Amino acid sequence: MAKTERTVEDRLREEYFDLLPDIRRVVDELEAEVKHCLVPISVRLDKYERLVVTSRVKECESALDSLRRRQEGATFDSGKPELYSLDSLNDLAGVRVLAFPHSRLAEADRKLRERFPSWTADPVPGYDENDEPLALKYFGYCRASDRIRAEFQIVPMLTALFWEVEHSVIYKPSPRLKGVARSLEMQQHPRCSQRAEGL
Amino acid sequence: MPRLTASKTEILDEAGYAYSFDRQMYINRKTKKAFSVEFVQDHSEEQIRKYIREHTGGLKWRFYFNSPPSETVKHELEGVLG
Repeated sequence: MAKTERTVEDRLREEYFDLLPDIRRVVDELEAEVKHCLVPISVRLDKYERLVVTSRVKECESALDSLRRRQEGATFDSGKPELYSLDSLNDLAGVRVLAFPHSRLAEADRKLRERFPSWTADPVPGYDENDEPLALKYFGYCRASDRIRAEFQIVPMLTALFWEVEHSVIYKPSPRLKGVARSLEMQQHPRCSQRAEGL
Repeated sequence: MPRLTASKTEILDEAGYAYSFDRQMYINRKTKKAFSVEFVQDHSEEQIRKYIREHTGGLKWRFYFNSPPSETVKHELEGVLG
């Protein structure tokens, strides 16, 4: 039987499942660390204030797509599979802090920066050059693994909720909507903006 | 840091370019030209206008990328763009 050439995507899928136990350990550690760090704020919240911590392991196909979209023209060069590795992604393991109001967001940011001083800041830029960042984002390594980086975000509550809805429509549509999302009109919508992928 | 400004996207929009969310490029099937987002970010409005006007014959796709795509990538994109 003739051997079939493995695609870049197939190689990356294999890499993903090799990394998966590390990703799970890192998510668990980071979520616990972030929640612990924010306890002093959480216990003092007023009735109307919110500080919610969520986490997720990036799914395999989402990781592949994310890496593909980082290439110019969003296309893998199938002749050079050695160029691509999922360990170049910062957010295989991700934690998001949703905060309301803004004063609590700033407080959470201060606490987390103290707890993770060596992590790199990578804020989600605003729509215009002079706008404040839409969200604060940091990436680095956890004790649980030195093979993958993790990311945490601190996001205004309303922005985060909007991203969750938008993300489910654009990246994880129901089978009925998948055809719509992939239709020519949707793919070529001139007003589609490039924004950091939501957690 | 260079940015994808509204005026650049308007220039492309008015010249008949549509944004491909999947490939992150501005494409015009009539003229068979495609601009990557990175290329648009890193070039001025005047340069983009010049490249839009550039005559290419329109028989083969012309890709405006910061790093010229390999033949394999061109082939793949041509297959997708038609």
